[in-house]
Amino acid sequence: MLYLKLAVRNLMRNKRRTFIAGSAIGIGLAALILMDAVMIGMEHNLVASATESLLGEGQIHARGYRENLAVEEAVVDGDGMMAALGQDTLIAAYTRRAMAFAMITSPANLSAVTMIGIDPTTEPALSLVDEAVIEGSYLQGNNPRDILIGSKLAEILETRIGARVVLTTAQAHTGDLAQEMFRVSGIYHFNVDAMDRSMVFIRLPQAQTMLGLGDDFHEIAMTFSDGSYGRNKQSPVWQHYSQNGNEAVSWTTILPEIEALFELSKVGLYVGGLILFAVVSLGIVNTLFMSLYERMFEFGVLRAVGTRAIAMARLILLEAGALALLSIILGSILGLVLTGLFSHYGIDYTGIEFSGVTFREMLYPALTLDQFVVYPCGLFVFTLLVGLYPAAYAARMKPAEAMRRSF
Amino acid sequence: MKTAQWLTLATLFIALGGNIRAQAADDIDVDSVIHHIDQMYRSTSSIAEFEMEIVTPNWQRTMAMYAWSIGMDKTLIRITAPKKDNGVATLRLGNEMWNYLPKTNKVMKIPPSMMMSSWMGSDFTNDDLVKEFSLFEDFTYEVITVEDAADSLIYINSIPREDLPIVWGNIITAATRKDWMPVWQRYYDEDGKLMRVLQYSEITTFDGRRLPAVMTMTPMSKEGHRTVIRYKQLEFDREIPDDIFSLRNLRSQTGN
Amino acid sequence: MLTMTIAWRNIFRQKRRTTLTILTLLGGFTLSAISIGWSDGTYNRIIEMFTRNRLGHIQIHAAGYLDRPSLYRNITNGAELGSRIEDIPEVEAWTPRLFSAALASVAEKTSGVQIVGINPEREARATRFDRKIIDGRSLSAEAAHETVIGRGLARTLKAGCGDEIVVVSQGADGSIANDLYTIVGILESGDAIQDQASLYLHLADAQELLVLAGAVHELVVIASSLEDVAQATEAIQSRLNEPNLEVAPWQEFARPFYVAMKADQQGSWIGLFIIVLIVSIGVLNTILMTVLERTREYGVLKAVGTRPGQVFRLVLYEVWIMSIVGVTIGAGISLIINYTLSIHGIVMPQAFTYGGMEFTHYYAEVNARSILIPAVTVILSAVLVSILPALRAARVAPARALRTH
Repeated sequence: MLYLKLAVRNLMRNKRRTFIAGSAIGIGLAALILMDAVMIGMEHNLVASATESLLGEGQIHARGYRENLAVEEAVVDGDGMMAALGQDTLIAAYTRRAMAFAMITSPANLSAVTMIGIDPTTEPALSLVDEAVIEGSYLQGNNPRDILIGSKLAEILETRIGARVVLTTAQAHTGDLAQEMFRVSGIYHFNVDAMDRSMVFIRLPQAQTMLGLGDDFHEIAMTFSDGSYGRNKQSPVWQHYSQNGNEAVSWTTILPEIEALFELSKVGLYVGGLILFAVVSLGIVNTLFMSLYERMFEFGVLRAVGTRAIAMARLILLEAGALALLSIILGSILGLVLTGLFSHYGIDYTGIEFSGVTFREMLYPALTLDQFVVYPCGLFVFTLLVGLYPAAYAARMKPAEAMRRSF
Repeated sequence: MKTAQWLTLATLFIALGGNIRAQAADDIDVDSVIHHIDQMYRSTSSIAEFEMEIVTPNWQRTMAMYAWSIGMDKTLIRITAPKKDNGVATLRLGNEMWNYLPKTNKVMKIPPSMMMSSWMGSDFTNDDLVKEFSLFEDFTYEVITVEDAADSLIYINSIPREDLPIVWGNIITAATRKDWMPVWQRYYDEDGKLMRVLQYSEITTFDGRRLPAVMTMTPMSKEGHRTVIRYKQLEFDREIPDDIFSLRNLRSQTGN
Repeated sequence: MLTMTIAWRNIFRQKRRTTLTILTLLGGFTLSAISIGWSDGTYNRIIEMFTRNRLGHIQIHAAGYLDRPSLYRNITNGAELGSRIEDIPEVEAWTPRLFSAALASVAEKTSGVQIVGINPEREARATRFDRKIIDGRSLSAEAAHETVIGRGLARTLKAGCGDEIVVVSQGADGSIANDLYTIVGILESGDAIQDQASLYLHLADAQELLVLAGAVHELVVIASSLEDVAQATEAIQSRLNEPNLEVAPWQEFARPFYVAMKADQQGSWIGLFIIVLIVSIGVLNTILMTVLERTREYGVLKAVGTRPGQVFRLVLYEVWIMSIVGVTIGAGISLIINYTLSIHGIVMPQAFTYGGMEFTHYYAEVNARSILIPAVTVILSAVLVSILPALRAARVAPARALRTH
């Protein structure tokens, strides 16, 4: 306790130096917190862009369906799976879809598309199809001839809301051609060319009838009550629903690029942290030595009056610790303010595409408790570690020499 | 991604039998006129020799071919000219389709996903060929008057039943008042925009039936494109041995 | 001059302090130099993989082809155009390509494919075509009815080397283009989606099949380096100067990729800015310490009659000497490390897939930027921050300074 008081007094004796060193380290810490927050914000955005538009956080298919997209391979015991998901408290929302390749024809043109039959009531919880509609409306009411098409496809087909289009596809099992007339009820715009050009949405029962599926369907998309759950490939949920010939996969399995990007960003964060700690440590050692030299006489006296070497070292370490604490307080406040400002105003990243995923929203850096625990603790421990060097120096000091060198 | 300029050798038979129908109307009985045109090219079996002339901005060519068909789901088409394509054949059995390529002496199965789009590079899409609907049963129709109407013709406007997989808003058919022969058909979208014109000419008697031997399809959306089908021979309701429609025969190159 | 001598002597007298100060400068410098070199290296490698090995740096098409590809929007004098641009110094290689959609089948299996007609020798030189073959061999130099197919396509068709493959398409004259080829190689381009459909034929075979004698759709040009692409594009444009040709650098024909790279690089600028900030703060801290702590020393200098101007210069010289020494040593170390990393690379903890290409190693790059940015940061922040304390030192009153001890 005495030593701590002494250490604080030592630091306070040269307020300017302490303040400079403290704020230098603090700014570094604040920068690291900001960088971390930006990365989290970016991750959030990417995850949201990847999962919210259509994918969901997890999907269930019949095993093998993802590879060959065969219309016959419907989810095994679909109703049972849906019922099980309804009982599962981990699952926040889920919806089913029936899908197939199809040809869409308008009087002017024709185009190859993926036709997706959706349940209009549960789909909005999983995807943004409803929000992406820019003309007409989402599947409201219950007109079986409603169809949603993408903005690019509307251009290709030279069609408009209310116009006739014909979908042609092949039925499951028999391969018989199935054709239905629809009227364009909505035009969506995801701002991703591939999606806006090649997907059409109809009601699930119509898709099931056209494909001769009965009550079967091909895909269940789901979200979890805890978002991080869906990213963890080790979660027991995948195992749990991968039974009876079905396969449940995380969105990270479907879009491995995004996960890889996070890994890459993490490396960037490590490098930043490494640089920060290196610079900080040199700064601390420097500061401690500075104050040590200045007080050579004092230390000499302390030694001369019988202070033990270990006590000397402890004094220096306590100084280092106190300095670190001060830096941490300064840095955390600065980091909080800076990150707070950025997360309030956001960084504009919208409209940029990565691996087929477009940033739809501003990038908002995210504050987390971790940033104010992990980095400060790391900094504190690190400061004490590098403080060992000047501490050892102080401990080895000979009283007479110290007193002499101070002049 | 380039959209494949797909020439899936779809069933020409349906083009012969189903899709290309015309209508005429008599003041007295529109039903009969429509029914007549609807049935004009239909039969339980047929053997045809015809030419197909395709004109595009980039090329123009005429193919000669033979076609054998029974009902709706058995068709064999064999190309005889130009020389380069001589012997190319297509067999359709129900939903399955194969091409025979004499140059490589191989039979290629056409995947279902390739059944759509332009047939042989013509202006008849596979959609036209695959689809089979009846003006008589699937459309509502009425006699109308058009601008510059000719006295010798009657004009019938047909509107598809709401739930049918037909993209057209309406089809106007001009037919001769005298003998119910189709002269032209105009296809409109629902905004009343003309999308394509099918013209009939050269009324000929084949196997006891009088019908137009030449059909010219002109799509309005594609400038410089035109397809002409010209029948040389047409026989109806003849016995055709079933083994004509076999993979072995497809490969045999001998015709029939 | 005398001041300089004293500055040197001061630096040597306080070895530990000097060492620590220089270490701070050097550490900050080296780490930022490496991280810049590293991030540049990673980006350039991705861009290089994407362009050099696949799409090329520059593409020449008939006007309108990029917007709406069509069999008929072709170049009929490809070889002549190629020879006209060949001697541009920034042009390393060029290679012609011909494209068309087709159906291909092996035994019972049929699939839609993209025919790519290539000149095997030129393609190998330009895009290392031969190195992407994972099974079998590349096409023969002369057309021999051989084909190399993508790995995914081989899987779909259940085909392997030695199998015969039937290809059907529509010729430019409307004819039913069909022929039989022997599969001699399976290829992995790094883009799985592309490998699902690509079927490579010798250019002459493709031209014969599609009845497009002498025609190509694309000339791919490889520049001597990524930096030369803009210049090479300009040179090609001015040399060809034909209104019915479009010369586009990769930034144009691979626009989504370019935009993504740009965005990513913007992101890395934020990181770079933070690194530079941390480094300059570290420098500030150290320099302030070394100067401010020595008020007494300057008092003595003043007491023995040193003029304020001399004290001022003395302080600045010391800082300059130390920062230049730090930067010089740092530059040496960074160059060595970046160079080593540019050759050997570091294994990534997890392979990283971008646009179908897999990256397993981080590679750094040796470039001017990675040395200049940290050098400017370190020297500038050192010098700027030393001016104020130097002024104070110059103005210090002898007696008062001595008393502060």
